[in-house]
Amino acid sequence: MIAVLGLVVGVVVGLFVRPEVPAVVEPYLPIAVVAALDAVFGGLRAMLDGIFVDKVFVVSFLSNVVVAALIVFLGDKLGVGAQLSTGVVVVFGIRIFSNAAAIRRHVFRA
Amino acid sequence: MRPMSNEENPEEGRTEEAPTAGEQTGPVQQTGRQRLAAGLWPPRLTRAQLIVAVLLFVLGLGLAIQVRSTSDNSALRGARQEDLVRILDELDNRTQRLEDEKQRLEGQRTELESSSDQAEEARKQTQEKARQLGILAGTVAAQGPGITLTIQDPHKAVQADMLLDTIQELRAAGAEAIQINDVRVVGDTYFSDESGIRVDGQKVGAPYTFKVIGKPEDLEPALNIPGGVVQTLEKEQATATVTRVEKIVVDALRPAKRPDYARSSSQ
Repeated sequence: MIAVLGLVVGVVVGLFVRPEVPAVVEPYLPIAVVAALDAVFGGLRAMLDGIFVDKVFVVSFLSNVVVAALIVFLGDKLGVGAQLSTGVVVVFGIRIFSNAAAIRRHVFRA
Repeated sequence: MRPMSNEENPEEGRTEEAPTAGEQTGPVQQTGRQRLAAGLWPPRLTRAQLIVAVLLFVLGLGLAIQVRSTSDNSALRGARQEDLVRILDELDNRTQRLEDEKQRLEGQRTELESSSDQAEEARKQTQEKARQLGILAGTVAAQGPGITLTIQDPHKAVQADMLLDTIQELRAAGAEAIQINDVRVVGDTYFSDESGIRVDGQKVGAPYTFKVIGKPEDLEPALNIPGGVVQTLEKEQATATVTRVEKIVVDALRPAKRPDYARSSSQ
């Protein structure tokens, strides 16, 4: 419950406070968000499986974000930033879908 | 994209591994749905909940910022450098094209304006010429300074050749438009004596009134010189009176006639 509250508060703060994002971080923000979403879905699935460990969640969340940003950064330096970020989004999208399928099986039993 | 997904695979394996490993070792008493309900309500302030809340707060923040910035400044804000360069290039090209088109259209406009000016000028000149030729051909009325010559002929002594001589004299003195009674005298006017004097086939009776446009100072002496028209007429018992007029109107008209045989040779 507290976790859900945290998400809601984050969205509200982001919408109303309008924090300025530093220009350096800006290109990596969308990829980082997708990576974090992937980690959150993985965590939710682990919780439903009854094997949720907060340490694993924190590490996977942070590493997902960092690695995704790193890949895009590297892609930008190599001149294939657009393609690489598309690839990252595709991979995370697939993982989110598979996690969502597992969650769905738990919640709806179907 | 392909090497990317390969790179990602180990990580996927790891996170994937964790739940499956946990499922094998951990005892399963509750269903997933019960666990979800238990996690949601009642709210418990555990370490795990707090940590997840903080991370989710960060996620929500990033999500909101990204959504806002994407909807804020259209596509440009999130666009990469090379995309921006491409967009700029396209804009430059487009500007160039539009500039070219504008120049072309402006040129066209000036051309049209000057050509319409020229057409207007040509039309004016043509009208002016038509008026001048109309005066010569007798199709339009003319006015200007001149004289009137009235020939009284009580003894019916005046003949067509005398009128013709008068016309010749007037023309030699620079007459520009002549009318006898109601007949305009032009280039193809002819005189004949058939039961009285006829000018261009129309019967003309005494008194003969000439209206002549020209320089009065030239016309009057030309008629009055010794041995001239006036004296000759007086010999025939006819009286001729010449009056200078400041403004005289020659308003007898002739229909414009299209020549049947003569054609312009300057084609």
